[in-house]
Amino acid sequence: MRGYREREPFILGAAVIVLLIALWEAVPSLVTLSRGMALFFTTPSKVAATFWRMLVNGELNRHLYVSGLEFVVGLGLAILVGLPLGLLMGRSKTLDALLDPYVNALNATPRLVFLPLLILWFGLGIWSKIMIVFAGAVFPLLINTYVGVRNVNRVLIDVVRSFCASERQIMRIVVVPNSVPYIVAGLRLAIGRAMLGVVVGEFFGAPEGLGHVIAEAASNYVVDKVFVGVLIFMGMSLVLTMSVKKIESNLTRWRPEETKTF
Amino acid sequence: MGLGAFYDQHPRLILGVASIAVLEGAWELLLTYVVAYNPFFLTKPSLIAAAFNQQIIQGKLWKDIAISSRAFALGLALAILVGIPIGAVMGWRRRVEYALDPLLTALYASPLVALAPVLIIAFGVGLTAKAALVFLLSVFPFVFNTFAGVRATDRVLINVVTSFGGKERDLYLKVILPSTLPYIVAGARLAIGRALVGILVGEFYAASEGIGFAISQFGDTYRLAEMFSGILVLCIAAVALTEALRKLERVVAPWSAEQTSR
Amino acid sequence: MIPYIRAREIGLTFRPKNREPVRAIKGLDVEVGRGEFVTLVGPSGCGKSTFLNIVLGLLRPDTGEVQIDGRRITGPGPERAMVFQEFGLLPWRTVLANVELGLELRAVPAAERHRRSLELIQMVGLTGFERHYPHELSGGMKQRVGLARALATDPEVLLMDEPFAALDAQTRDLMQTELLQIWEKSKKTVLFVTHSIEEAAYLSDRVVIISARPGRTKEIIKIDLPRPRDYEMRLTPQFNDLKLRIWETIKEELLVRAG
Repeated sequence: MRGYREREPFILGAAVIVLLIALWEAVPSLVTLSRGMALFFTTPSKVAATFWRMLVNGELNRHLYVSGLEFVVGLGLAILVGLPLGLLMGRSKTLDALLDPYVNALNATPRLVFLPLLILWFGLGIWSKIMIVFAGAVFPLLINTYVGVRNVNRVLIDVVRSFCASERQIMRIVVVPNSVPYIVAGLRLAIGRAMLGVVVGEFFGAPEGLGHVIAEAASNYVVDKVFVGVLIFMGMSLVLTMSVKKIESNLTRWRPEETKTF
Repeated sequence: MGLGAFYDQHPRLILGVASIAVLEGAWELLLTYVVAYNPFFLTKPSLIAAAFNQQIIQGKLWKDIAISSRAFALGLALAILVGIPIGAVMGWRRRVEYALDPLLTALYASPLVALAPVLIIAFGVGLTAKAALVFLLSVFPFVFNTFAGVRATDRVLINVVTSFGGKERDLYLKVILPSTLPYIVAGARLAIGRALVGILVGEFYAASEGIGFAISQFGDTYRLAEMFSGILVLCIAAVALTEALRKLERVVAPWSAEQTSR
Repeated sequence: MIPYIRAREIGLTFRPKNREPVRAIKGLDVEVGRGEFVTLVGPSGCGKSTFLNIVLGLLRPDTGEVQIDGRRITGPGPERAMVFQEFGLLPWRTVLANVELGLELRAVPAAERHRRSLELIQMVGLTGFERHYPHELSGGMKQRVGLARALATDPEVLLMDEPFAALDAQTRDLMQTELLQIWEKSKKTVLFVTHSIEEAAYLSDRVVIISARPGRTKEIIKIDLPRPRDYEMRLTPQFNDLKLRIWETIKEELLVRAG
């Protein structure tokens, strides 16, 4: 059996989470809530029960599908646009200088500000959400690809050039592999931004989707349903982020230094 | 100095300015002379400039900007006051790190904006709910960057100070604080983007005033030029804050100038 | 004798943006016979690495030209290969894949480049490390990979840009001895750059001393020590006299720069 010391990180971390949940559960029996508060207050057990009920009666299926579709298509578009553009901006000084003002300004501004405009242009259906997901996710991918291309060691390019490599071979053998860890780190950031886009996009007048479930439940003060939606979003983000972190740590097989994320 | 020589010295500046000028010009000319456009759907730079003049220079939007700024400042100040001490203690004491890291990492990876409806139910529409949302989104970069900064403090420097007879106080003031400060400023840059998201979501979702409310209101009433002027204000504020913090990064850590580019 | 490598009147000025131009080399003449081991030494910043990059074909000189076997070079070519100072290994490739790089770019069939690479890995003493990644190797092992990679394409000329500068003193001594053994077997023409006088005297047939910037050929010293050479030879008075001669010539240049 391993000792406590080795398992201390896990034990302490789990203890805090369990303790918090237990405390939350105990609130109604510890303090008397005012009548107004009691109406809106929910406990983890109630949230879990609601989650189970919604799962079993299939109420969630359609919403999960719509939210998932928006997420996947938006993120996919962001990858299709962000990676090539990042590569090109990294290799061409002129293109970099031409696009840099836009990339810089748009990256500093939260793209959610375009949500009303996108709703105006694309309507309340899934396309306005796909576009807001795309707008959020494309910049971390583009910028990280760019940085990966830019940070390539000059000596490595000299090495392949000394063996008479063409520009295409330089790209394939040095530039692209060098940017892979940066791109994966960018993907991790992009997943967070994409999730944000789905949530907020669906808050406003969407007919379906998990964000819509949250917003509707909130306007009817069904708080445990709100938390079900929140927890699903949290769970999905965690699973996706962990998977990408796993990929990142596998990449350290050849890159011992920590990859900086931007 | 001729234009050619000026270009040779500042190619990025010239290309960037040219790129913006050409895009704005083409946009204006296209909508003025080529495409007959629907003003409920599109707008052009001259109209945006007029709306910007009316809304910002003549001050119609200022009340909204002031209201948003208050919630922004309040939430961010709270995030600094809470986030930095938590991060510092996590950095100094292993046990605290073990206890808090899983919980905080999970929360950081989650789209906490999904909690916006809950906050509005709890605090009502207004300053408190918005500030709470801003706090919730922006506290984590302070926690994790302070933590990383304290952890990254060079052990050798600590030994050097101790070997010259430095006390614990000297360690904090002369070694740990200076080496953590750049991390905190970098964290602030991340936090600002997230804080702006908080303001926007809070005001899109439930508000009767503020810049986010104004933007979404302009969208609902098809006043595109006014909406773009609102977006432009937010964009300018975001870029100005980001650049100011980048300057600050160079001031507090002149020795690590290009540590994090972009 | 017609020299195998002949560089005449080489000059190059760097013109960085927003800064004063830097005249790196001016009127550099170097001649290397076939199979000869020639070393360039000089004060730091004298342009010796720049010159090597010109011979490699990565940089183009403003004046003068480099001929190899009577043909003027205009770019990188299969008869030349470089061993780089910072190793220049692709971190995402294993030792084997790194050694194969040059053959791969010459479109050599997979089986053939595999066989050839394994041969060279054995020659530099890295058998058993084929599947390792560069970050798992010590500095000395990394440079063995760099050497194997350069030799894999079987070039006529081996260019070596301070290849042992990043290694600790003992590894360095060891690598020098091994390099000499490999060179004596393969009889490549070697153009070597270093700032170590000892290294220059130990390895070379001739040492070319470059002046302070802008670099030009200051003096050529013939090292007429018998071969094969071993470590003990470094303790002889003859060796020390040669070192002293090189040092005095370089010292003049260092004083020029300081004064």
